[in-house]
Amino acid sequence: MAKSNSKKRKTVEYGRYGYFFIAPFFIVFLFFSFWPLIYTIGLAFCENYYDTMFNMEVGPTFNGLANFKTVFVSNSGTLFNTFTFNALWNTIIMWLMNFLPQILLALLLAVWFTDTRVKLKAQGAYKILTFMPNIITAATISVLFYSLFNFPNGPINQALIYLGIIKDPYNFFLSKWATRGIISFINFWMWYGNTMIVLTAGVLGISPSLFEAARVDGATSGQIFRNITLPLLRPIMLFSLVNSAIGGLQMYDIPKLLTNSGLGDPDFSTRTITMYIRELAFTGARQMGKASAVSVVLFIVTTIFSLILFYIMRDKDAIREKKEIKAAQKARKEAK
Amino acid sequence: MKKKLLSALLSTAMVASLLVGCGGGNGGAATNDNAAADNSTTTTDNTAADTQTETADTNTDAAADTSSDAAASGDKFYIYSWNTELQERLAYVFAANPGMEERIEYVNVGDSNIYQDKIDQLLQTPDAEDYPDMIAFEAGYIMKYTNSDFTIPVTDCGVTEADLAEMYPYTITIPTDQRDGSLKGVSWQACPGAFMYRTDLAESILGVKSPEEMQAKINSWDAFLDTAREIKEKSGDATRILSSNGDVSNVFNSNKSEPWVTSDGVFHMDDAMVEYMEVSKTLEQEDLTQKTTTWTEEWNAGPSTDAVFGYFGCTWFLHWTIKANCGGSAVGEGTYGLWNMCQGPAPYYWGGTWLGATAGCSDKELAGQIMKSLCCDTEIMTKMSEETLDYVNNKSAMKALSDAGKGAYDFLGGQDFIAVFSPLADEVDVSWMSAYDLNVNNLLGTQIAEYQSGSKDLDTAIADFKQSVADAYPAVKFED
Repeated sequence: MAKSNSKKRKTVEYGRYGYFFIAPFFIVFLFFSFWPLIYTIGLAFCENYYDTMFNMEVGPTFNGLANFKTVFVSNSGTLFNTFTFNALWNTIIMWLMNFLPQILLALLLAVWFTDTRVKLKAQGAYKILTFMPNIITAATISVLFYSLFNFPNGPINQALIYLGIIKDPYNFFLSKWATRGIISFINFWMWYGNTMIVLTAGVLGISPSLFEAARVDGATSGQIFRNITLPLLRPIMLFSLVNSAIGGLQMYDIPKLLTNSGLGDPDFSTRTITMYIRELAFTGARQMGKASAVSVVLFIVTTIFSLILFYIMRDKDAIREKKEIKAAQKARKEAK
Repeated sequence: MKKKLLSALLSTAMVASLLVGCGGGNGGAATNDNAAADNSTTTTDNTAADTQTETADTNTDAAADTSSDAAASGDKFYIYSWNTELQERLAYVFAANPGMEERIEYVNVGDSNIYQDKIDQLLQTPDAEDYPDMIAFEAGYIMKYTNSDFTIPVTDCGVTEADLAEMYPYTITIPTDQRDGSLKGVSWQACPGAFMYRTDLAESILGVKSPEEMQAKINSWDAFLDTAREIKEKSGDATRILSSNGDVSNVFNSNKSEPWVTSDGVFHMDDAMVEYMEVSKTLEQEDLTQKTTTWTEEWNAGPSTDAVFGYFGCTWFLHWTIKANCGGSAVGEGTYGLWNMCQGPAPYYWGGTWLGATAGCSDKELAGQIMKSLCCDTEIMTKMSEETLDYVNNKSAMKALSDAGKGAYDFLGGQDFIAVFSPLADEVDVSWMSAYDLNVNNLLGTQIAEYQSGSKDLDTAIADFKQSVADAYPAVKFED
């Protein structure tokens, strides 16, 4: 033992300096991410709000699962029929409505832009144009769309009446699905450029020799896309899927800014989970305890989402290969 | 060994610089704030602390010294509000109190929707440089602050019983702490409401020639709706009685028999609110308004066109909203001079701003001085009312102006607005107010939108409304 130790000292070990250099991140992470996380989970089990009547703080006192009960069960006793799950549901709907078209369009554009046979002109300009909406602030875009769809004299209403599609002006922001649709569209429009660039990078990372070989073998574009591009793009797809899912669950700015009251009009149908958490924690009775409980639910949902996505997108071939190798090793051992 | 030391030094330096970086950012911001106020952070902090202790120790005599001391050293006195209205009124106070203006730091939060959140946060940090010394409150939530220990009685600032003699009684009832009966805020304005309508449209559509005749046509909600139908019909859809359905809300809010949440913490759904939902639905379904939303661009455009017959508004509304949007600034321009006022279906009052001193107020003497000048001094208030046409919270000032014939207002075609508002101001009943009003009204608005469009029936809308209130206020009890 002693011998090996003294032996080690003679060589200079640079490895441990690495720890010093990554330490700042972990220290900051501990203070600004990990501690708040633990603290939130703790608060979720406490009663803590302000009594509006006399503006006095109540708590924080431990009250067990009472917050979670109000999060999961409504006053009338139905499970999941609460404002929390309503908000969660809104968030997921609006995310799906923007993500599905977004990934399809981004994929199509990424394949076109990288295809050596199509050779689109002025790609750079188009890439900038598609990325533009992402640079404009959410506030500006919300105001823009709010005026576009304004009732009764917004440009969209005027155009629809002029074209004879509708007779009377339509108040889009009084319809649940119209408002959700507008919010989803804004998010789609803001983010497809970003997704496209990520996917383009992914496609460019695939060895061109594979495409050439396939083409020499007489594969059609469809076959190349299905059998080469898609399977090899899987890790990047997973990345953008997880990214978008986590970002989508935290959707806040557009729905908050687009509606008049900021409460997720109409009838809370565009209130996302983060909007709800903020409302609970910082307005009205400032219910920190309940807001923490909702945050914990969001945390769990996000984790489940990510795990499911990782499971679906896992590399089945690699796993099978691993299994085969293991089986082969086992067989060899047994043969010995 | 040397290398190890060096690396340890390097990494600590890195961490330190990181933390210093954060601190530096904050410090920088703080200094920036102060830079506007004075030169160095430390002196301000010290003087602020000194001032506080001194005021606490020797309340009356030293206070004058303290304020001059503080004025000399540039200690800022923070007043928070959500728009420029108070700032403009404070100009009259500064004119009467030379040297005061330099000390006042007026902070305009800019948005009344986030004002409460902002103030709530600031009140949690009594040691902060920008801790509010005085805050303005709106009627919708004033009780949340006056019923708390975040505000101090005005008597602590030197405002006496005699100073309040000329105020309208309701402006004193509202900011009185319900726990011990002490007065926590004062107001310089009184805000009784009326129905403001276009005289030219009234004559051409309804054949109505005087405010009395108009009042007869809208003296109850049934009559109001009938008149609304008549206007829509006779004008051939060109004119509607109101711009938005929500315009009637303040009238109904003022006529609740009990507050949203009674003093024992029980939620109360008033019949007046059910009637409000019904009237709102009738207005929507029969297409009797322009269906805009209050305070939006289209809504603001109403007074300058013939599309809107009238608005429900109060004293400040007349000047700040209708006159500002009428499309002109003298008789003959836009709709200037084509307006009149009458009571409408029910007496009501809308809004109003109060001013109170906070628990950690750094200079109570100064706070008292501002309150007295702004809200009690008949001379200043008469001048203020004469120049701004604000309806001030001072009976003798308003009477003097009315007697002098200063109430005849060319915007109202010569109608005496003081004569219309005065009897209303005396009778304002505010027993329906609670600390919950603003937020609960917003939640009701969400359900009314659903009910009037027909996507929910009355019972569902009310049940959903109660549920959203329960969700927002865990301490509120529900009887059924």
